[in-house]
Amino acid sequence: MPAEWMWGLCGGLMIGLAASIYLLVSGRIMGASGIIGGLVDRSARGSAAIERMFFLAGLILVPLTILPFTAHDGTHLTGNWALILVAGALVGLGSRLALGCTSGHGVCGLSRLSPRGIAATALYLSAGVLTVGILRHIAGIL
Amino acid sequence: MRYLVALFAGGLFGAGLLLSGMTDTVRVQGFLDVFGAWDPTLAFVMGGAILPMTLAWAIARRRPVALLGTPMQTRAEDPPDRPLVIGSVLFGIGWGLAGLCPGPAIASIGFGGTGGLAFLLAMMAGMIAARPLRQRLSGAATAPLDTERQSQMDIRQLTPGYAVSPQITPEDIPAIKAAGFTRIICNRPDGEIPPALQAARMRDLIEAEGLEFVENQVLPGDFSDSIVAAQRTAIDGASGPVFAYCASGNRSSVVWALGQAGKVPGHDLIATAARWGYNLEPFRARLG
Repeated sequence: MPAEWMWGLCGGLMIGLAASIYLLVSGRIMGASGIIGGLVDRSARGSAAIERMFFLAGLILVPLTILPFTAHDGTHLTGNWALILVAGALVGLGSRLALGCTSGHGVCGLSRLSPRGIAATALYLSAGVLTVGILRHIAGIL
Repeated sequence: MRYLVALFAGGLFGAGLLLSGMTDTVRVQGFLDVFGAWDPTLAFVMGGAILPMTLAWAIARRRPVALLGTPMQTRAEDPPDRPLVIGSVLFGIGWGLAGLCPGPAIASIGFGGTGGLAFLLAMMAGMIAARPLRQRLSGAATAPLDTERQSQMDIRQLTPGYAVSPQITPEDIPAIKAAGFTRIICNRPDGEIPPALQAARMRDLIEAEGLEFVENQVLPGDFSDSIVAAQRTAIDGASGPVFAYCASGNRSSVVWALGQAGKVPGHDLIATAARWGYNLEPFRARLG
């Protein structure tokens, strides 16, 4: 359906625009795992911590507000609790070990042709593809 | 102002994540399902996001400071290391398992139900566990996160354009430069420190790094008008963010605040300094 990739492209442009504004106006790299991770492990303090909280507030409140006006109806997250907890722990642990996730390494890293961003993106994409491939088509879990 | 920018950028990021389908785990897993019914939508998301960012980096490369005067947080380009490789693989597995990565996990917390909340809590637990593990994996050789480097260095950013710090050592100079400062002011009198840290030696090292060095030594308690004026001139004359140091950062804070008196309300100056642990109450009368 053409509308889907159009939405993907538009949403992507908004993400890129948000990252550009955060970089050029505030001088910060927009990486979701770094922004929340710095708060969680308390490596960000003082005004840097407050700034991150404002970022998170926008990140949570805006999607919630506009959701009723979109075609989206939730996350369709699996109901398998073990899967949720293991996946969450792996995402948190991995993104902070790698110092970046889809936004930091993917969007911000790839766009500056950073070797770390390229390596990280290639690795997590491959790992994600293999995980879905094995669990869906071989193990039949997903 | 930077809080509002953060709020706006976060909101735009969240809206983009929602509209693009990144918060829909079925869509994400469909994208990763290259061996099945592949859904290419997220490739458009990635492409769409990288486009404006490429432009932004082209501009950022030519500017040491952002519009608000904060130093550009451009992380030193270390080569990929062990924590990066292991972490990215683990992250990818988790991403594949549930179809959520950190941004969408946060963005969808308002409508993701208890499952989304459980995912977020597990993610935060993983993040806490990552810190000690990363240090063990990388040894001491790897550069820490920028924020951590700052906290080790103890840069106290009073305003976007002015930071203070306790006494620095020659090893700190590259980090100060990397943080985007263009001028360093020494407020520490030579009489308090060994020759290796005195102004003449620091000047050589700092100027060798391509940074400007200004000497304005402040004896304890000597906050005379001429010292204050010298500090203000040194701050106003800089082309980028300024970094000042003394023994604890206290004197650097006081001489800065006194130079702002009349321009900024006194209680704001006192509050700013207090956030970083500096007590300006004794100067309330002079601060106005």
